Amino acid sequence: MRRCFVLFAVLLLAACGGNDEVAGGADDLPGPVPTGVEFAKPPASALPAPDFTAELVDGTAIRGSELWRERPVLLVFTASYCDRCREIHKAAAAAVDERDGAVALVGMLGEDEAATGAEYATELDLGHPVAVADERVWLNYAAREPGLVVLVAPGGEVVRGWPAGASGAAIGAALDELIES
Amino acid sequence: MLLVLALPAVLAACGGSDDVDARLAIVAPDNNIRAEGDECAGARPFRAIHRGTAFTVEDGSGEVVAEGELPTGRATNADAGIDWESDRFPTVCVFDVEVGLPERARYRVVLPDAVPLEFDAVLLASDDPVELILSG
Repeated sequence: MRRCFVLFAVLLLAACGGNDEVAGGADDLPGPVPTGVEFAKPPASALPAPDFTAELVDGTAIRGSELWRERPVLLVFTASYCDRCREIHKAAAAAVDERDGAVALVGMLGEDEAATGAEYATELDLGHPVAVADERVWLNYAAREPGLVVLVAPGGEVVRGWPAGASGAAIGAALDELIES
Repeated sequence: MLLVLALPAVLAACGGSDDVDARLAIVAPDNNIRAEGDECAGARPFRAIHRGTAFTVEDGSGEVVAEGELPTGRATNADAGIDWESDRFPTVCVFDVEVGLPERARYRVVLPDAVPLEFDAVLLASDDPVELILSG
């Protein structure tokens, strides 16, 4: 009987928590920048990107300046209730994926989505981190409404923003201006 | 016998004969730059107003007489009197809501983080939706 209980407990644990991977969590953070990739300098008119801290949907802490230290970062301010934003987020992910690890993408949910963020990340399952950022971060990037996309150059300067989102082609073209090789 | 049992349930589902089909246009006057007709959610300071936001409708005594969730909003020109000379211009986000209400003299729509929106029943007689403009 006791052996049976232990076996049951092991099976239960395996079923509940055997896989720690969470869509949009730490496992989706980018690896090292591929060798041989170099980046162009951003235009002189580019403004410093406001640094931020946020938590990924699995609770992992991230910092903007660490993400953009070596590579461009695309920030997509999104929301689970915004269908248009889902499409923008998917298009951004496709554009980033085509650049083979040279660019990072972070989905930025509002602080009111702390409870639903993981569900959003799981549904999209884009293979890129999804963070919950507080209102200050949204304010610093003038994100009045979900759908804003911001491109930050390596080193932390805002190259451009798309307040109403952008197509994959538009994002791809902007990324290619930053990637020299 | 079956008919007698089923009748109250059918009546309850239909909401009773006193119900008024109310058409409301709940407006988040956020003046955000969008294209006309774009899908929208309330921009600051109306970020809590978006698809899925729960609302209740109360009568004059404060009793909840209906409840629901907002649909997706649509961007509408914030000032049709201005030629913005652009495809994108200041807009408000309008949520079109249809809800059955029992006959009362006054109603109040309650949404999170917003001052309740009150209106007289007489406005429901119009062919146009009742426009209710949020304040922060």
